[in-house]
Amino acid sequence: MEFLNYFDNVFTVYHIALLVGGTFAGIILGALPGLSPTMSVALLIPFTFHMKPESGLILLGAMYTATVAGGAISAILVNVPGAPANIATAMDGHKMAQNGKAKDALHYCFMSSFVGGVFGVLILIFFTPPLAALSLKFMSTELFWVAILGITIIATLDSKSVIKGLMSGLFGLMLATIGEHPTSAMERFVFTDHLEGGVHIVVGLIGLFAMPQVWNLLENYYGTKNKVFSAKGDSTLMQSFKLVSSKVKALSIGSIIGSIIGIIPGAGGQIAGIVAYDQSKKISSNRSNYGRGEPEAIIAAESANNSMVGPSLIPLLTLSIPGSPTAAVLLGGLLIHGIFPGHDIFTKNTEVVWTFIDSLIIAQVLMLVIGLFLSRHSKWIMKVPDNYMAAGILLLAVFGTYSIQNDYSDVLIMFTLGTLMYFGSKAGFSPVPVVLGLILGTMTEEKFLLGNMIGNAKGSSFQHFTSGTINIVLITLCFTSIAYGVYSSRKSKQN
Amino acid sequence: MNKHIKISTVIITLISAFLVYASFILGSSEDYLFPRLISVMIAVLSLMLWFEKGDADKSTNFKDLMPGIAIASAFILLLKILGFYLASMIVFFSLVMYYSKPIESKDFWRVLLIKLGVTIVFTLTLYGLFTLLLQVRTPEGLF
Repeated sequence: MEFLNYFDNVFTVYHIALLVGGTFAGIILGALPGLSPTMSVALLIPFTFHMKPESGLILLGAMYTATVAGGAISAILVNVPGAPANIATAMDGHKMAQNGKAKDALHYCFMSSFVGGVFGVLILIFFTPPLAALSLKFMSTELFWVAILGITIIATLDSKSVIKGLMSGLFGLMLATIGEHPTSAMERFVFTDHLEGGVHIVVGLIGLFAMPQVWNLLENYYGTKNKVFSAKGDSTLMQSFKLVSSKVKALSIGSIIGSIIGIIPGAGGQIAGIVAYDQSKKISSNRSNYGRGEPEAIIAAESANNSMVGPSLIPLLTLSIPGSPTAAVLLGGLLIHGIFPGHDIFTKNTEVVWTFIDSLIIAQVLMLVIGLFLSRHSKWIMKVPDNYMAAGILLLAVFGTYSIQNDYSDVLIMFTLGTLMYFGSKAGFSPVPVVLGLILGTMTEEKFLLGNMIGNAKGSSFQHFTSGTINIVLITLCFTSIAYGVYSSRKSKQN
Repeated sequence: MNKHIKISTVIITLISAFLVYASFILGSSEDYLFPRLISVMIAVLSLMLWFEKGDADKSTNFKDLMPGIAIASAFILLLKILGFYLASMIVFFSLVMYYSKPIESKDFWRVLLIKLGVTIVFTLTLYGLFTLLLQVRTPEGLF
């Protein structure tokens, strides 16, 4: 029960203000169609740079929690999920909006998100320390394979094409090699002075996530827009609370499935929401109403995508493998604050990590309160024009990038990388594996070089990398993940 | 393989070839060991891409996109000359003016003033929050 000792750190005026601000902004950003939670967290990271690590992480955690829940607003009112995690919510939530019950659907969303979210954070609290202890057995080769496994899983799950997903991850690793060699400090691939310092993680994050959104908003500015429904409805808060608390089966299925999927590296909220929706439909007595505006469907989907948030941090904090794309970005946030995931995370950074985890529970409470308040005014949030959003994101991206190292070269790198990623995404490449490759690149190369040196001293580098139970298990998981990616991509094409 | 896929696959193959060239021709072998491994894997995958029956590439609406890229590029160049805040005001206002629905002549000045007001408020908010409160540095230029 060590986590109980650090709530005092969360209950300071400054941290509560950060939590309120992060949650408020997170719900609004999550609600805006076209702005993903991943981009929102990426855009926020440079502004946490000047804060203490625990304060920065509290703000990022609040933003992560709130954007996932906020995405449900646009899913319900416009039928455009604010994040991939809200796809399942849109199916029945938007039907309720069409039936004049948008307010009720939004109540169900935030209430079930709260239940799922708290459940997920409790899983994070109780499962992370034992798994962190297990990571003590990981030496250089094992850590190399762990990084490769993380990139492989994200690459195969986040892309429609396994080949393009893997290539994206490898491009990320390649980007990380620009600049100084990790041991000899020799400069590599420095074709221009602007690349002397390499590609900073946060510069990459902002470029790869924010700039494509700007181009996307401008490119589709004159396109047709979906109708925005008003947040009208009959239920009072108390009636909605009674309904949600009576749907124990849907809440349990959502919370448990979301937590399990959250722990699986790379799976993310999109899968959690859809699987929970499907499973709750199978056992529901109202299954014929699914797809026509069934509250149970919304409750299962939303409790699942929010319960995924906490557990998605378990593989991240213990093994550096993110459980979702946004968790991959959060890894960048941890690293810039000097917190390195691994077995000693709870001994070296005890206070920071427990304060961060405790703040996630408070963030869930604030998400519920602020979410219910903002949902009344959500129609106005939806009406922010795309040209203002694009201009705002562009300014924040440039500002955030420059503020990291006060270096104009970073702005040029961010802009170029983001524009290339935009055209890459048109050809089916995803930014998430690129980012993970960039984040894990230096660590992967260091472990590779160390393992190679030890292997050569022993007689065979290849044998050193491919022997030992953990290495074999990790290599098998890498190939299984690729095979699963190929199988699921073929299956989706057949469907 | 449709025309769009062919173009992107050709570009990706050329990039892969360049990465292999850069990893093997530049620098000493020890320092480039890891990038060489990665570049070879990228090259192998780019060859496999030729045999993949993938989805068609999404088309790009260059007509609407290019003015935005041009304004943003001008912003990046103006940053060093005019400083962040003045350049920001110009680019924000340019973007919201260029990307806007046709304005009726009787509403022109009202819409123009609203857009100018939002531009000034947004930039001043950034200035107050980040420069005055958090003391974050920005490109200075003239201002």
